[in-house]
Amino acid sequence: MNDPYKVLGVSRSATDEEIKDAYRKLAKKYHPDQYAESPLKELADEKMKEINEAYDTITAQRRGGSRGGYNAGYGGGAGGGGYSAGSSFGDVRSLIMSGRFADAEQILNGVPADRRNAEWYFLKGSVLYRRGWLEEAKDHFSRACQMDPSNPEYSAALNQAMSQRGGMYGGYNPNRGMSSDCNACDMCSGLLMADCCCECMGGDLIRCC
Amino acid sequence: MFGYVRPYKPELLVREYDQYKAVYCELCRVLGKEYGVMARFALSYDCAFYAMLALREEQVEERRGRCVCNPLKACAYLPSSGEAYKKAAALCVLLTYHKLRDDCMDEGFFSSLGSRLLLSIASPKAKKAAQRYPSMAGAVERAMEEQRKAEGEGAGVDRCAEPTADLLRELFGELCGCDERQRPALESFGYFLGRWVYLMDAADDLGEDMRKGSFNPFIKRLGLEGKKELSEEERRAADNACNEALNATAARLALAANLVELGTFGPIIENVVQKGLGEIQREILFLHVKEKPKRELR
Repeated sequence: MNDPYKVLGVSRSATDEEIKDAYRKLAKKYHPDQYAESPLKELADEKMKEINEAYDTITAQRRGGSRGGYNAGYGGGAGGGGYSAGSSFGDVRSLIMSGRFADAEQILNGVPADRRNAEWYFLKGSVLYRRGWLEEAKDHFSRACQMDPSNPEYSAALNQAMSQRGGMYGGYNPNRGMSSDCNACDMCSGLLMADCCCECMGGDLIRCC
Repeated sequence: MFGYVRPYKPELLVREYDQYKAVYCELCRVLGKEYGVMARFALSYDCAFYAMLALREEQVEERRGRCVCNPLKACAYLPSSGEAYKKAAALCVLLTYHKLRDDCMDEGFFSSLGSRLLLSIASPKAKKAAQRYPSMAGAVERAMEEQRKAEGEGAGVDRCAEPTADLLRELFGELCGCDERQRPALESFGYFLGRWVYLMDAADDLGEDMRKGSFNPFIKRLGLEGKKELSEEERRAADNACNEALNATAARLALAANLVELGTFGPIIENVVQKGLGEIQREILFLHVKEKPKRELR
């Protein structure tokens, strides 16, 4: 196995706190949840396992053999998918699960237009998303949500696509920094104003003024 | 490629910035040495990025010298004995050649005079590059062909972006060297970077393409067919829509980059991925830097 300190990118003299920090940072970077819909999932899982092992080894070494802390804190997770009740595209779903996207797409494309329900749009969207056709994937997800607004699986997919479009995970978010300009001064004056309003209505928020 | 892939300088360490410049200068030097003085004009940030990625497993040592263009200027170089710079130089030459050829086809007789003159200089160099790296030349050629086809059919955004994306997928995939496990991550990294570059270029050209009536995948996507000018509000909406498409791509790009062993230039590449691309989106879509006079920007 590789040197666990090297895996976490810390020196041997690092404090426990530094190691935990490095571990958390890496765990966030490789967290399997964010790769759930991506063909890179296996590689991410492998990386995650590697840092989990490294962290466990270091903590075990440092505590004289007692295991503890974070092991298995992150990891596994993200099974996702699964058959939803009453799926009419079970075969497509299992193809997608086993990574055979081209076959899945072929079957989907063969479905006549009048049999294309919300699930069809969702599955087609998933295939497109994996392939990297993100614009059409989004269109398909929103169509699925329009046709069946109450389905949590479809709205989760759309939500993920929309939050990526918002620029939270890369690119540029034009609204960043506009509403977050709030410091201690703003908080304090806000409270004072709220107090004034309360007093107008006969109540009181801050007793002393 | 078009010079969109570059680091966000304020967030680079001074040491990293120097390193980046040294890679850039070395690439310029290699370009001149391999393909002649004129080829230096083909130098681009994108190819410097490619060189950094290609150098990820190599040890490089700085060498000090003079700038090749300005002998009075001191300059640092980061030479490497491997193929990395040579490949990057070939890529510069090939991409520039195809860009010029495209321009010649799109423009009329008189307005294409300039590009045709440059093309006559570039084409023997492209031939030389193709001899040295036939697979790379083939990939570039195929991508251009596919792109022309997709644009000719008036295809959607995703389909139009695919040739560029696939080109970079292939080029980046080759860089995995002896570690085949890295290939899928590198390929995905390349795919989304190529897609991002194509979309960024399309978003950048949207206004001009509408005026000229040229093809642009975003015109159909945003329902702007037949319009020549956009009102202030429409323009903002279009910019926001393009920005969203770019963000979605950048998000997948960052995920793939996480899994690549970035090696020697890791911090710089991370800076490009996490901050540089977003900054370009901001400059082009929100600050409209290209439309303002240079003086105002300073």
